[in-house]
Amino acid sequence: MDGCQSGVPTYEGDLHVVAAAHHIVKALGATKNLSDDLRKILIDLDSHLSMITSNIDSKGGRGLVDVEERLDQAERKIMRWETDPMMIWDSGPKEASDYLEAVDETGKLVDGLRGLSVHENRKQKEILHRAMNILQMAMSRLEEELIHILVRHGQQFEPKHMYSRSIRKDIVYDESFVSVEDEPIKETSSRNYSNDESGECIVDLVHADVIPDIKSIAKVMFTSNYGPEFCEAFISVQKEALEQYFSFLGTENLSIEDVLKMEWTCLSSKMNKWTWSMKIIVRVYLASEKQLCDQVLGGLGSVSSYCFLEISKATILCLLNFGEAVAMGPHRPEKLLRLLDMYETLACLLRDIDTLFSEEAGSFIQLQFHELLERLGESAIAAFEAFRVAISSNGSLYPFAGGGVHPLNKYVMNYIRMFPEYCNTLNLLLKNQHPGVADQVTEPDYGLDASLLTSCPMAYHLRSITSCLESNLHKKSQLYKDEALQHIFLMNNIHYLVQKVKGSELRLFFGDEWIRKHNAMFQQHAMNYERATWSSVVSFLRDDNPGSSSMSKSTFKERCKGFSVAFEEVYKTQTSWSIPDPELREDLRISTSLKVVLAYRTFLGRNLAYTDDKCVKHTVEHVENSLLDLFEGSSRSLRNSRRW
Amino acid sequence: MPATDYQASFLGRISIRRNQVIAMDGNHEQELQDLELFSKHVSERFAELLSSPDDIPFDALLSISWLRKLLDFFLCCEAEFKGVLMMGNDPSQISKPPLDRLIPEFLDRSVKALDVCNAVTNGLESVRHYQKLAEIVVSALEQKPIGDGQSRRAKKALTSLMSAMNVDDKECSAAKATERSWSFSRRGVSSKDRVPEHFRSVSNQVAKNWSAAKQIQAMTNNLVPPRGAEGSGLASPVYTMSVIMVFVMWALVAAIPCQERNGLSAIHFPAPKQLNWAQSIIGLHEKIGEEWKKKEKKGTAGLLDEMQKMEKLGNILMDFTDSFQFHGDITDQKAEEAAARSAELAETCRRMEEGLLPLQIQIREVFHRIVKTRTELLNALDQVGKSSPPLL
Repeated sequence: MDGCQSGVPTYEGDLHVVAAAHHIVKALGATKNLSDDLRKILIDLDSHLSMITSNIDSKGGRGLVDVEERLDQAERKIMRWETDPMMIWDSGPKEASDYLEAVDETGKLVDGLRGLSVHENRKQKEILHRAMNILQMAMSRLEEELIHILVRHGQQFEPKHMYSRSIRKDIVYDESFVSVEDEPIKETSSRNYSNDESGECIVDLVHADVIPDIKSIAKVMFTSNYGPEFCEAFISVQKEALEQYFSFLGTENLSIEDVLKMEWTCLSSKMNKWTWSMKIIVRVYLASEKQLCDQVLGGLGSVSSYCFLEISKATILCLLNFGEAVAMGPHRPEKLLRLLDMYETLACLLRDIDTLFSEEAGSFIQLQFHELLERLGESAIAAFEAFRVAISSNGSLYPFAGGGVHPLNKYVMNYIRMFPEYCNTLNLLLKNQHPGVADQVTEPDYGLDASLLTSCPMAYHLRSITSCLESNLHKKSQLYKDEALQHIFLMNNIHYLVQKVKGSELRLFFGDEWIRKHNAMFQQHAMNYERATWSSVVSFLRDDNPGSSSMSKSTFKERCKGFSVAFEEVYKTQTSWSIPDPELREDLRISTSLKVVLAYRTFLGRNLAYTDDKCVKHTVEHVENSLLDLFEGSSRSLRNSRRW
Repeated sequence: MPATDYQASFLGRISIRRNQVIAMDGNHEQELQDLELFSKHVSERFAELLSSPDDIPFDALLSISWLRKLLDFFLCCEAEFKGVLMMGNDPSQISKPPLDRLIPEFLDRSVKALDVCNAVTNGLESVRHYQKLAEIVVSALEQKPIGDGQSRRAKKALTSLMSAMNVDDKECSAAKATERSWSFSRRGVSSKDRVPEHFRSVSNQVAKNWSAAKQIQAMTNNLVPPRGAEGSGLASPVYTMSVIMVFVMWALVAAIPCQERNGLSAIHFPAPKQLNWAQSIIGLHEKIGEEWKKKEKKGTAGLLDEMQKMEKLGNILMDFTDSFQFHGDITDQKAEEAAARSAELAETCRRMEEGLLPLQIQIREVFHRIVKTRTELLNALDQVGKSSPPLL
C-alpha cells in the first residue's frame, strides 16, 4: 500500500514538535529488548511522523484541501460497494486489495486528523467526522465480509480419516455383570479402532487460500480500533462451526440426571463415543482451531488465545460434564473398562489441553480437566472394587446343570483378559490401593521383564480376583449332591481359568508358578472324579483271590450283573454331564478307559469259561464305546437303547 | 473471603467435637446443640443477604457480588450440614427412618441442582457476550468529539446487545445462534452461504427439552418440613439444606439467562414462617419473586443487577444514538448526558469483567462440592448397607 502520501498538514510551528517527536521515536526504536507489539507501534509512529513532515515540507497550507480530495477518493471506493450486491472478496483479489487500500487510507486520515483536532478547526472537524463515518461503514462491511469468508470457506473434515496412522486393537466387551446368571455368554468382541498417542494431525478449518484475506481484514480492523468487532464476528462463526461439528460427530448434550438414569448398553456406547469424540475434538479440531487463531491473530498479544478460549469453552465444558456425570454414576463392575478408556483418553490429552489452554484465562479449563481425570480414576478404582465384590457375592441357589463352565467364570475371565491392555493405567491407579505392592513398580514398562510383571499391582489384583472367583466356584460346587460332579465342575472351571490365562497376555501377570499350581489343581479334581465314580464300579471286577484260577460261576454272574447295573447307572448320569473342552474330555475318557476297560477285559479274560453266558451283558468294545458318550451334555440310557 | 473464614472456624469446631464424642459417646445434647448452631448460622447468613442495601450498587440484591456471597454462604452451610449429618453421629442412623427416605430424596435434589449449575454456567457465557458488546458501545461513545460514525458504531453494538438479551429470554432453549446477530440483511446473495438461522446451539443447552423451571419445581417435590418428633432429629437439617439448595438454584436461575424459565415465579417454597432460619429465605424469595413477576411480563434476560443496569443504560443510549442520527448532531447537554451514561455502562462492564469469571469458578466449586457430598453420603449408605447381607 502506498502510505507515503498519507498524513495531514500542520502549521509551521508544529514542525519542530514533529521533528522532536520523530527524534525520540527513532531513539526508542534503536533500543533492544522491545516487545513485538511495542516495536510495531514505534514503526507505525515513525512512518506516520515522516508522512506529516513530508506533507508539511511539500504541500504547506494546501494540506486540508488535499486531505479532502483523498477522502473523496477513498469514499467513492468504499461507497461503491454499499450498493453492490456482490461480496467484495468474491469479486476478485484486485477488488479486495483496492477496498482495503481505501479503508487503510481512510483510517490514516482519521488518525491524522484526530491527532491534530486540538486546533478546533471547524472544517477539519467536519472532515474528521465524515472520515469516521466512512470508516464505520467500511468496518461494518468488513465484518460482513469476514463472516462470509469464514462461512463460505470453512471446511468440514471426516473424522474417519483422522486415525489411520496407528491403530490400537480395542476390544469392546459390553456384557453387563447382571446378565451372568441369565443367558449364555456370547463372546462379543467387536473391534473398534482408535488412535493412540501419535495420531495427531492438524487440518485447515478454513481453506488455506483465504487465510491471508482474513489476516488482512484483521489487520485493518485492529488498526482502526475495531478489534472487538472482529473478535465477536470471528468467535461467533467459529464457535458455531465447532458446535456443528460436535453434533456432526453425533454427540448430544445430556443432563447429568439423564446420564445417571441411562441403561448400561446405551451408556456404554455413549462412553465409547465420548472417548472417540474427545480425541478428535481436542487432538484435531481444537489443535486446528488454535492454529487458525494464531495464524489470523498472532502478533496481537492475547487476542488469539482469548478468541480460542471463547470459541472452545462451551463445547469443552459440555464434554467435561458428561465425564463428570459418568464418574458420579453407580460404580458397576461392567463400567470398569469404559471408565479406563475415558481415563486413558483424558490422561493422554492432558498435555494437549495444557498447551491449548496455557494462558491464565484458560487455567479454569485446565483445572477442570485435571479434576475430571482424578475423579474418573477414583471411579475406575471403585468399579474395580465393585467387580471384586460382585464376584465374591455372586450367589446361586441351584447347581449349574451338567457341571460345565459357569457363566460367572466365563464373564470374569473374558473381562479380565482385557486388563493387560490397560496395564499401565491400572498399575498407576491400583498402586495407591495397596502400598505394599506399590514400590516394586516404579516405571511400569510392560513387556520387558516378565518377573517384574508378575509382581506389579495389577498382577496382584488379578490374582486376588481369580482367587475370589475360585472360592466362589468352590461354594457353587458344594451345591452338587454328587461328589463326582463336584469334581467335574471344579475340574472344568479351573481348567477354563488356566486356559484363559495361558491363552492370553494374562499369563505374563499370573506367572508360570500360578499356572503350574492350577494345572495340578484341575488334574487333582480329575483324579478325584475317577476315584469317586469308578472305584466302586471297578470293585466288582476285582479278583479277590489273585492266586486261584477262577471264581465260581455264580460269583461271576453276580459280579457281572453288579458291574452292568453300576456301569449303566454311571452312563445314564454322566452322559448328561458336560466337559466343554474337547481335549479335556478326551483325556478324561482315555484315562477312564484305561482304568475301566482294562479291568473289564482282565476280568472277562480270567473268566473265559463263562463269557458266552447271557450274564455278560456288555462286551469290552461296548463298554469302550459307551465311555465315548460320557460328558456330552445329553442324558442317555444303555437299557433302552439296544445298540449292540 | 468469608467462605474460608467460616470454614476454618467450622473445621476447628469439628475437631473439638470429635474429641468430645470420644469422651461422651452418643451425647444427644451435643447433637441438639449442633442442630441449633446450624440453623442459627443459616438464619444469620440469610439475614445478611436480605439486608443487602439496594443503594450501594456493589452489594445490591442479585448483583454479581451478592450472588458470590450467596454461593459462599451456600458452601458454608453445606459444610456445616455435612458435619452435623455425618460426624460423630451413629452412622447407621442415615439408613433408618425417616432418613432412609429423606437422604435419597436429598441426593435426587442434588443431582438436579448439578444440572442447574451447568445451565447457569452456560448462561454466564451469554452474559459475558453481553459484556463484550457493551464494551464496544462504551469504546465507540468514548471517542471525542462524538460523530455520526461513532454513533452508528454504538448503535450497531447496542442493537446486537438488546436483541441478544431478548433472544436469551424468549428462546433461551432454542436458536442461541442468533444471539450474535449479524446484519446479513443487506446482501441477499450471501444468504445461501449463511449459517442456518434455526441451527440450535448444542453447547449452550443442558439437554434437549430441559427446563430450568421444571427442574427446580421437581426439586421441591416431597419437600415438606419435618413434623412432630422428626423435627428435633436429623430430618430437620436435611430439610433446611434442601430448602437452601432449592433457593440458591432458584435465585441463580432468576438472575442469569437459563434454558427455559417459564413458570419460575410459580415455584412455591414450602418453608413455614415460624421456623426462625426460614424467615430471611422467605423474605428473599418474596422480594426476588416480585422482581421476577415485574420483569417476566416485559421480558428480561435475567435479574442480575448488572444486566438490568445494562438494559436500562442500553435503552437510554439507544435513544441517544437514534436522535443523533436523526438530527445529525446533538446539544452539548445531551452529549454530556450520553457521556455520563456511557461511563456508567463502562463501570458495569468493569464489574462484570472482574466478577463473572470468579462467579463461574464459584459455581463450579458448588458443583464439585455437591458431587463430593453426594459421593460421601452414598458411601456412608453403602457402608451401612454392607453390615446387612449383600443382595446381589
